Amino acid sequence: MKNSIKVERAKKNITQADLAKLAKVSRQTINAMELGKYVPSTVLSLRLSQIFEVEISQIFTLEESDWS
Amino acid sequence: MKLNYLFPNKYKKVGWLILIPSVITLILEFEPNSLDFNVPAIFIDELFGDKHFFGIVKNNILNEILGALILLSSLLVAFSKEESEDEYISKIRLESLVWAVYFNYAVLLISFLFIFDIAFLWVMIFNMFTVLLFFMIRFNWQISKLKKSARYEE
Repeated sequence: MKNSIKVERAKKNITQADLAKLAKVSRQTINAMELGKYVPSTVLSLRLSQIFEVEISQIFTLEESDWS
Repeated sequence: MKLNYLFPNKYKKVGWLILIPSVITLILEFEPNSLDFNVPAIFIDELFGDKHFFGIVKNNILNEILGALILLSSLLVAFSKEESEDEYISKIRLESLVWAVYFNYAVLLISFLFIFDIAFLWVMIFNMFTVLLFFMIRFNWQISKLKKSARYEE
């Protein structure tokens, strides 16, 4: 799964640490998501969607490999 | 939804404070006579004697005390929340636990096959604590790796 967390973060001009605080997770988790190492839960995804004020599908997109 | 069977973060320190001195005392292996007591036992298998349930045996209770302290304190160390316990940390925790169980039984399997007699008794004694030990090593290693990789933000 691809995500545009880093892009959305840049638009809002906030750091990983800021986003971590807003989403109530650790900075390592934000970092791992941006690197594609971790797929967040639905709850965390919805939090990110509210923080960035965009649709959830705008942040996360499925890839071919997600179907295999 | 938040149920995760973990202790609050502050218990981690308490766990270490009990665990380290207990392990050191156990390694020193002294048995002061003042701790010899007649204690109740659930199952008794006397050397050159019979086996029976329930009775009283003479025993030095220092081993029991230290064993219990090590067991409980390593549970505290292993299963206290991290300072920032979130869903990703929980995932790493679960993976480390699965890994530790596999690793522990791999070690046990090898010991089964290649360690015999009284020497195997040592394997069994250590094996009581090694699942948690392997878990602690693996989990803390993963967490420190994670912290290092997240230190530099692009």
